[in-house]
Amino acid sequence: MKVLIIEDHQELARNIHDFLASEGYICELCDTFDAAREKLELFSYDCILLDISLPDGNGLNLLNLIRTEHPQSNVLIISARNALDDKVAGLENGADDYLTKPFHLAELHARIRAIYRRKNLEGANIVQFNEISLNTDTLEARVGDKLLDTTRKEFDLLLYFLVNKNRVLSRQSIAAHLWGDYTDNLANFDFVYQHVKNLRRKISGAGGNDYIGTVYGLGYKFIAANREA
Amino acid sequence: MKLNNKFTLWYLAVMLLVLLIGGAIVYYEIQWKIDRVEVVRHQGLNDLIADQIRQGGDYANHPTRKRATITLLAPDSIPASLESFYTHGPGWNPEFQRREYKLIVTSFYKIGGHIYRISSYSFIPSFYQLLPGVVDSFKWILLLLLIMVAISARLISKYILAPFKRTLKVIQSFDLKKRQPLRLPQTQTDEFRELSGFLQKMTDKALEDYQLLKEFTENAAHELQTPTAILRGKLELLMESDIRDEQAILIAEMQNSLEKLSRINSSLILLARLENQEYVAGQPIDFSEFLRETLAFFEELIQMKSLTLRTHIAEHVLLPINRSLADLLLTNLLSNAIRHNTLHGNIEVILSRSGLVISNTGNPPGGPTAELFQRFKKGNQSADSVGIGLAIVKQICDLHNFNIQYKYVYNQHILEILFQPEAHASKLLQNVDRTLHPEPLK
Repeated sequence: MKVLIIEDHQELARNIHDFLASEGYICELCDTFDAAREKLELFSYDCILLDISLPDGNGLNLLNLIRTEHPQSNVLIISARNALDDKVAGLENGADDYLTKPFHLAELHARIRAIYRRKNLEGANIVQFNEISLNTDTLEARVGDKLLDTTRKEFDLLLYFLVNKNRVLSRQSIAAHLWGDYTDNLANFDFVYQHVKNLRRKISGAGGNDYIGTVYGLGYKFIAANREA
Repeated sequence: MKLNNKFTLWYLAVMLLVLLIGGAIVYYEIQWKIDRVEVVRHQGLNDLIADQIRQGGDYANHPTRKRATITLLAPDSIPASLESFYTHGPGWNPEFQRREYKLIVTSFYKIGGHIYRISSYSFIPSFYQLLPGVVDSFKWILLLLLIMVAISARLISKYILAPFKRTLKVIQSFDLKKRQPLRLPQTQTDEFRELSGFLQKMTDKALEDYQLLKEFTENAAHELQTPTAILRGKLELLMESDIRDEQAILIAEMQNSLEKLSRINSSLILLARLENQEYVAGQPIDFSEFLRETLAFFEELIQMKSLTLRTHIAEHVLLPINRSLADLLLTNLLSNAIRHNTLHGNIEVILSRSGLVISNTGNPPGGPTAELFQRFKKGNQSADSVGIGLAIVKQICDLHNFNIQYKYVYNQHILEILFQPEAHASKLLQNVDRTLHPEPLK
């Protein structure tokens, strides 16, 4: 998948680039409005990460260009401004999602995958990994043919793991993914632990492999390598 | 004491003093004037008698001689000055058989080579006879003045102080957060104009400072977002690398702090935005439905902590509140109720048309509850919150003129929100207990 990262903060852009590159994405960076416009006129991308506040222009103005030139591209706005009207304006102008800084890279990845699933795999919203399959339409999780009795949160969690396979997911990142960052409550770590525990129990109960491992001190990891276990 | 009364009292004191001095002046003036008139009269009488002597004839029993003494001075007893003079003082009045105030005018005349001394006298009203009249008349004047000053002070001060009172009213309703510059009424009085000018300048400055402070907070918070995002990303990339356990712990601790930082940041931005009134309430939303949805969102958390949830939700409670804000409000309140709960505790949620009550079991608050709605004040200093959730809740309530109260009774934390507080309207009208910086609830 080809991704264009339009972000004026070099370091942040590099973070995103490194993370997505290791997922096998082909990423290009540009840090100004003009450079972005130039690239968009010449090439096409599957996904465009757009920062609204660019040094030489408002990223929202790029949206029109993207909509006319590359209607098939997915656009995810990343912004430091959590203003509601920005969000609304962005989504109304054809952006597919909106992410506020600071975000977890795993969350960004999950969002990109979600948009991609929504737009590019019409109807076939199945995420499959070995014996585990998730239907993102019906929110059904299966191990083999067995339907798992998962709650909404557990489903979200499993999907988050599947999208970010072989990555360490911090408890903060999981908590933010499951409960958003509305509340004053810092990561509901106990709850994260409970959710993960329940999920592992349910998968094992249905005869699935236990892919989810604990990473000491940090969080959890969905280990895709030990399929022979 | 009212300014008005103070002025009146002082005026009265001054008036009393002036009247006393005035009374003395009037008395002496009258006494002197009477003396003068009598002296002139007796001088005339003396002249008349001298004329009679010049003409000759018998005037011995003439009425002119009744109170006059004529003496032919021997040449050796002629005084140096032949000027007329008068004396006065108490003297015996044989007609009334009592001592009275006697005035004697003595003149010298040169008639046919002889010097005559002619003295005439009469009895005039004395000090003690005049005094009661003077005192009496001044008593009446004083009374009249008292009444007039008391009445006019009220009427005139009402007129003169009107601009001052208007100014006072305007200042009382001044609210930094509304960001409306002070509009003071025009006045012709110099002092009030000066006061208005000063107030205007002061409030303008306060508004400006407030604005700057707010912008600073907002900008600082915004500017911190990107570095935080970068840090977080770097840490996540670092996590992927081959690290030892001790390093993992360090990273986890950094992540915790970073998480806290980012929450404080986004909360500050949110608060600033709330103060800026950036969230406009659209159509009234069905709060009952909203509450149910939010409760469903928390269902699993409630189960995990083995809490018992009791709800009593009235149907179709419509509230004019922005959806995002309603979400924030409920999310914060409910997550608080879950977090500050005990294992196997309970939560009770009651929604009616007049208000929302959320109560939950929990340990007693560690600090003064009045400060709970302030930023960065926590009931107990547990490290897993930044203490800004209730500040946000309070801000949202203020924005919608809801009244929020917190109580801790019988091991229950009770948060009560009144949608239409009765006190609200009258409080605004009086405006007495509103300060520039609204205090937390008492």
